[in-house]
Amino acid sequence: MGCLSAALILCTSFASTSWANDAESAATKHIENMILAAEGLLHEDSNDPSKRATAVAGLLDSYFDFPAITRFSAGPYWRAATETEKREYEQALRQVIIGTVVTNFDKLQGLKYNHLASTPKGSTLVLVSGEFIDTTGARPKVLVNWRVISNPDNRPAVMDIEIENISMLITQKQENVAIIRQNKGKFAALIEAMQKQLDQ
Amino acid sequence: MKFQSHYLFYMVLLLFAGGCSATPEGQLSESRDPYEDGNRKVFAFNMDVDTYVLEPVASSYLENVPPRGQTAIGNHVRWAGMPSTAINSTLQGKFENAGLATLNFLVNGLTLGFADLTEDDAPISKADFGQTLAAADVPQGSYLMVPLLGPRTTRSLAGTLVDTVLDPVGALAAGSGARALSTVQAPLGAVTFRADNFDAVNDVKYNAIDPYARTRSIYLQSRDGMTGQTMDRGIGTSDSDDEFDAFFNEAQ
Repeated sequence: MGCLSAALILCTSFASTSWANDAESAATKHIENMILAAEGLLHEDSNDPSKRATAVAGLLDSYFDFPAITRFSAGPYWRAATETEKREYEQALRQVIIGTVVTNFDKLQGLKYNHLASTPKGSTLVLVSGEFIDTTGARPKVLVNWRVISNPDNRPAVMDIEIENISMLITQKQENVAIIRQNKGKFAALIEAMQKQLDQ
Repeated sequence: MKFQSHYLFYMVLLLFAGGCSATPEGQLSESRDPYEDGNRKVFAFNMDVDTYVLEPVASSYLENVPPRGQTAIGNHVRWAGMPSTAINSTLQGKFENAGLATLNFLVNGLTLGFADLTEDDAPISKADFGQTLAAADVPQGSYLMVPLLGPRTTRSLAGTLVDTVLDPVGALAAGSGARALSTVQAPLGAVTFRADNFDAVNDVKYNAIDPYARTRSIYLQSRDGMTGQTMDRGIGTSDSDDEFDAFFNEAQ
């Protein structure tokens, strides 16, 4: 019985290690492919905002888990939101993210990415760590962590980007929660504020 | 006199912070910010100071000071912080970092830090007394928005006070020709910081829906990351794991 238990533990450990290795490799490859795709877009960029927006939207849909980003960024208020509010919030968030990337697109020129490490975090996430180096030397090196959902059931997808210890998704969530709480817990107030910002 | 005026200034700030009434818990948007109402008022004041003073000065600095001049000034500001880095690195047991900071301070002291003569690629991690307190497991305390200084926690503000009081550069400069330089270090540091982060600060200031909340989030994450470094967390680590674990556990 002792031998059987030991064998079961070993098999489970082996399976777990095997999954972890697969998940790490898949997440690392996913980030590499995403960086290549982004470099391709930068190379072909025509400085046309609407074409940039289409290209960035394509990148978002192909490499990011936007539904998970949407749910996470709404914090504890997502569950209580109505279906209409959820839809409107998702659309507004999408426009905000695409708009931000389009506005800052030029700043991505001249950056070279180096992969540093991939670390599994629990059974769902892999933290892919890397650095961006400015090939012109004008800007200092920037450390980046990509939080990638990587499990046997789904294709890998990025959930968060952490730049020098600052998580973009947590920052967005904390700001969103602050806005909702400042407006007495009304989720609609957040959507209204985002749409007002987009209209400016 | 400079020692006493700095000490008095920070005591007033601490008294100010202590005197802020706590925001009722149901109205808090962040549990670490019990003085949110008062903090938001101070933030509005700081934003006005930034709009009318710091931002235009930083913009003019970027436009008119040549890149080499900006590098030299940045070097000086970093050099002036080396004694604090050396002392606090020693207190935290980071002796290699302390050694590098000491060497950097002594060698570059020949040029008052304006030129970096060390030609050493080994990075020196900035260390302050707030991180030393974190390493000693002193609780972070509450989030504070301090007039002119900006975001702090109770712990990091206490750290700033100690760093200022114990600043050997300020003490050595008293009564000497370098006193004028020591006096302008704080405003010089503020301008160079604002200039170095010009776009990032403007992005928060003009594009965030709630700039106060975004500033708070960035500051607290940044401090968590700095104190995480104090605790020897390396590549492949993150302080945000708990939030994501909670998210996926709820989803299951």
